[in-house]
Amino acid sequence: MAEYTIKVRRYQPDGEDVPRGPYWQEFEVELDPTLSVLDGLLQARDRDDGSLAVRCSCRAAICGSCGVKVNGQSTLACLTQIGEAHERANRMNGNGEVTGGDSEQGELSPAGGNPIVIEPMGNMPVLKDLVVDMESTHWEKMRRVTPWLLDDGDPPERERIVEPEAMVDITQTIACIQCGACVSACLSMEADPDFIGPAALAKAYRFVGDPRDVETRERLYDLAQDPHGIYDCTHCFSCVDACPKGVAPMDQIMRLRRAAGEEKINDRNNGHRHEIAFTKIIRKKGTLDEAELLQESYAAGVGGKLKPSKRAIVGLAQSMPTAVRGIKSGKMRSIPKLIPGVHHKLPGDAQEHVQRIYEHAEEHKTELNLYITGEEEILENAQGDEPPEAAETGAPDDRMGGGAGSLPRTDLVGGGAPGTQATDGVPTDRTELVDEGGARPTDQADREDEER
Amino acid sequence: MPRALPTHDVLVIGAGLAGQRAALAAAAQGVSVGIVSKVHPVRSHSNAAQGGINAALNPGDSWESHAFDTIKGSDYLGDQDAIEIMCREAPEEILHLEHLGVPFHRNEEGKLGTRAFGGASQARTYYVADITGQAIMHVLYEQLMKHSADVERYEEWFCTSLAIDEGNRCVGAVMRNIRNGQMELFTAKNVILASGGNGQVWSPTTNALICTGDGIAMAYRIGAALMDMEMIQYHPTTLAKKGFLITEGARGEGAHLLNAKGERFMERYAPNKMELASRDVVSRAEQTEINEGRGFPDGTVALDITVVPRKRIHEALREIVLVGRDFAGVDITREPIHIKPGNHYTMGGVKTDINGATAVAGLYAAGEVACVSVHGGNRLGANSLLDTLIFGRRAGEHAAARAKRIEHGRPSNQTLEREERMVSEVVGRQHGSGRRVSEIRRELGETMDRHVSVFRDEEGIQTALEIVRRLKEEAASAYVDDRGAVFNQDVLGAIELGFMVDCAECSCVAALERKESRGAQFRTDFPQRDDEEWLKHIDLVPNGGGPEVAYSEVTLTKWEPQERTY
Amino acid sequence: MSAAAGKPMKLAYWPGCVSRGFTPELHGSMALVADRLEIELVTLDRANCSGAGVIAEHNQELADTLNARTFALAQETGLAMMNICSTCQGAQSECQERLDADSAYRAHINEALADEGISYEKDKAGFENKNFLWVLVEDYGLERLRALVTRPLSGLRVGPFYGCYVIRPRHRIGYEEHPERDLYLEYVIEALGGEPVEYDGARKCCGFPVITMNRDTSLRQAGTHVGDALDQGADCLVTPCPLCHLNLDMQQPEAAKVVNRDLGLGILHLPQLVGLALGFEPKQLGMNTHIASTRWVEERLGSQTAAA
Repeated sequence: MAEYTIKVRRYQPDGEDVPRGPYWQEFEVELDPTLSVLDGLLQARDRDDGSLAVRCSCRAAICGSCGVKVNGQSTLACLTQIGEAHERANRMNGNGEVTGGDSEQGELSPAGGNPIVIEPMGNMPVLKDLVVDMESTHWEKMRRVTPWLLDDGDPPERERIVEPEAMVDITQTIACIQCGACVSACLSMEADPDFIGPAALAKAYRFVGDPRDVETRERLYDLAQDPHGIYDCTHCFSCVDACPKGVAPMDQIMRLRRAAGEEKINDRNNGHRHEIAFTKIIRKKGTLDEAELLQESYAAGVGGKLKPSKRAIVGLAQSMPTAVRGIKSGKMRSIPKLIPGVHHKLPGDAQEHVQRIYEHAEEHKTELNLYITGEEEILENAQGDEPPEAAETGAPDDRMGGGAGSLPRTDLVGGGAPGTQATDGVPTDRTELVDEGGARPTDQADREDEER
Repeated sequence: MPRALPTHDVLVIGAGLAGQRAALAAAAQGVSVGIVSKVHPVRSHSNAAQGGINAALNPGDSWESHAFDTIKGSDYLGDQDAIEIMCREAPEEILHLEHLGVPFHRNEEGKLGTRAFGGASQARTYYVADITGQAIMHVLYEQLMKHSADVERYEEWFCTSLAIDEGNRCVGAVMRNIRNGQMELFTAKNVILASGGNGQVWSPTTNALICTGDGIAMAYRIGAALMDMEMIQYHPTTLAKKGFLITEGARGEGAHLLNAKGERFMERYAPNKMELASRDVVSRAEQTEINEGRGFPDGTVALDITVVPRKRIHEALREIVLVGRDFAGVDITREPIHIKPGNHYTMGGVKTDINGATAVAGLYAAGEVACVSVHGGNRLGANSLLDTLIFGRRAGEHAAARAKRIEHGRPSNQTLEREERMVSEVVGRQHGSGRRVSEIRRELGETMDRHVSVFRDEEGIQTALEIVRRLKEEAASAYVDDRGAVFNQDVLGAIELGFMVDCAECSCVAALERKESRGAQFRTDFPQRDDEEWLKHIDLVPNGGGPEVAYSEVTLTKWEPQERTY
Repeated sequence: MSAAAGKPMKLAYWPGCVSRGFTPELHGSMALVADRLEIELVTLDRANCSGAGVIAEHNQELADTLNARTFALAQETGLAMMNICSTCQGAQSECQERLDADSAYRAHINEALADEGISYEKDKAGFENKNFLWVLVEDYGLERLRALVTRPLSGLRVGPFYGCYVIRPRHRIGYEEHPERDLYLEYVIEALGGEPVEYDGARKCCGFPVITMNRDTSLRQAGTHVGDALDQGADCLVTPCPLCHLNLDMQQPEAAKVVNRDLGLGILHLPQLVGLALGFEPKQLGMNTHIASTRWVEERLGSQTAAA
């Protein structure tokens, strides 16, 4: 048992004898350091003030109710150990912001220094204390992405046959518990409240990645063209850090972008064009020529087959004041710098090697998803265990789904019925390095450009 | 100020799997449907069902085999007509879910794959990693969003009581909008209770804080009988301190149970099925090991998942890796984790027929709130999701059909006013006039866990009953701090406490009444099963201050009771 | 370990693209500062762009191979690798995570490097890839740095601006081993004698990644953070990321229009701030090439020099 001070951002819209607006209140709680911040809040509610409002139910990071900010980090209160939150708070001031170390790194202020700061989630209106209005934000955005399976309307008699990996893949997004922590943490949404946001876009991937959904291209087109869609994500990783379930919403957004690119969707936000231009420049030059990027990503294909969009022209015009200032200050060396081709090249044959890498990677386009494959070292069993190949738990007699396999443990079952251990679920091996091959739209565009 | 009452043909209370399935099924019949939940639907406790859902869908399996396993698991207290229906309809339901988009695990051929589960003679458990309940519930919620024109959702509304007419027919319910405190009388031709179990009556429990037996108590209060209330499942693998669940899927994947001496002790209790005997058997075995000094000093035994290949853990048991890491500080892929039996499931509940209809006209129940009874004395793992879906759908369809035949009823006068007065009375209680809600709740949980758990005897149950009756009195005057209207969780907590003590009283009375050992009820003073005397259900209806005991027959179709060994 | 008893350090150096393009003052000031710190930098001049996350979004294998090549070139030198760009750090760490997770994948990627006679080896002794900020705190040592300060930044109120990629995602950016990496800028500011300023945006996103896609979202972020720092009395911001610098400095006049307020806050590259404390003049450090004026910094340091 240890004592902690929790400092809670409160708001009581109709409380008696409390300030009208938001205010801070500290509670002293006493509990084991391995218990959670939620346990601390519930103790404060049970012992001191029953009006302290916080949504909670399962206490085990399954129901998604208790999204809050702890020391400024969006998370679940039930998943944050109070001892750890206390250590973190001790490196901070009382407002959940970092003040910096004392002098040397590693030096903590004495125990009991700063309170653990608990606030309602961000990017959503506060209803009371730690309870926010998810309906008008989170759920509204969720509904924006047509969050249900669009099938061909004619279910087969049995199940649809799909790749096992495809189901594991979308299990990552199905694992989302809709807690809103990622929405709370989203830095794009802070600047653009209309951004569809990490949770809803992860949900969108759940369908885009689902081979049973038949409107993949329509979904991608919709999300790419929306100025608040997939290209409005600022790639800050806040959602990845906030997510308590490993959904990694930003990774899903990047996969949506990749999929939209595969579908040759030229969005009016220039997202795809920017990506192509960037990739092309590195192929040509090895390092980034920002001036060329600026021009290419706005106006790729001028003189070629692609016409720049109206928005692209506006974008390029908007970037001109900045460019001119850059030239004046000496940041950009000259006006010609805005014209491609002046950038320095890699020495010797280095550029050729870079180009060879391009050829190799574009031939294979392997996508390694660690959610599906896991990390090798972690997956390797401790010594003495059976090799993975013999790992299935199925006993031959009772297997129903097929696949041979022996049950190394049968001798331990004490003469029992082998059927008790049967399963036809053959563990999915790490995804093969898939050779997809095939011509890609970007290659096409590159070639055309080079021919020109 | 006159207002249009929220009115529906079918009003579903509770939005977990049973409720959502019922609402979708009723809406498919073209009637007007409302679904109410005190939490956002995706917060419902169906989320916590990790391991999977049973169905005899594989070639070589049969519904009869599934039914027999279920009946044997129930220790022959399950009603066989209902079990037959559940097991026959299971395959179709799994396929329906697959078609809606549940990403069930596939085998190498891309077909639905299964895992082994306790008490089953075949591997017939379909699953999504170890988040099966969550995956299914989120997919059903996708369907609710899709069908939002057909199903009106009332999210974060709390039901305080069921409304009846002069003829004691259920004609609606009184709700409090949690966001603004507004009380409303909802009228409905039929009400389907799908509000879940009452695990919070015990502490610790695997159940969420919302599982306070609201529906069980509300139905009981208007005279619907409760059945099998003594049958409380203790799950064999829960974390010692917080009571969190480690899925039976872990043992399905091959994990071992070990005592402190490192022995696979299940050899002594269930030499054939070992760790995959039915839950009551495994929990008793563990408790015996612990009681006889072969457990660990923290009152636990160990679950060794390290024998499961890591790749398989990564794929199939991700969630419990997190549970171990985050809530016990244990890397389950590298070391055994300490577990013990913990409160998990209420086999009993509101007595219904095979269509979910209760003794009160217009009132249906499905899921854990209900007792059909398909689980009897002990529920098999991965049968609870199935129960919610099959009987949720059947209740929805039946209620919709009934709605087409009848007119709206008229709630008794003063129904809404009575509830508004009740809430005002709670809010108005003076500090110091009684105990804190949280204190009473804690004492209740600890009492039930001590005396009405894996092993019971008359003295213990009697002690518990006396305490519960005192707590019931105290609950009536427990005070609250919050006087506001917006998100007043304090006042809801006081109302929930009232539901909980009613449930607790019924469980004590039924456990005291059943003088034999069957399924989850093990009486050390009556250690044998007694089919002569006790192959029957205990039904409870309110009579004055407490429950009145009656009996009803167990429906047997083709399976005669036999000795039960695993 | 920290301080390293004053021994000279030698590191493979990846300057990134932007430090030699739009922000040449970063590369220049790093060279000056490294010399003063006795850190010998072996520039990886054959190495290529990290892809900045953009190439990974286009073709993950391509990004992984490009960075495997950079790592392999660094491993050829037998030295640990240092970068001066948060964005490179982030993109490279992401690729490294995948490369390290799977030997078959690594072998496949190394195939593409075989022509050049190089390969990336997991866990090669002595190899790691660190941002200058991390090197400074974890390897060089704040004490040793403090000892070299000839012009303490006394009275200079400096807002730290980390940039996303050296602080997120925590599991990939080494927080298990170094839980205080998101406090290092404050440590460095203090070690140099300056005063860290708390403001809302220190760990937020500058908005650069969407500047060509959603200009308003991008500039609103930059403008808001600069404004917040101003409101908290900052004299300047310091960042270990040249891309943040672009959005916070070069775009600052545009950002000011979007957030509809006057800004005008100097944005320093990390080596510039260190350089000032080590006695270099602002102009030597290229501060005159910035768009947003750094005159407050110069005034503070000037008056302090005058007082001394």
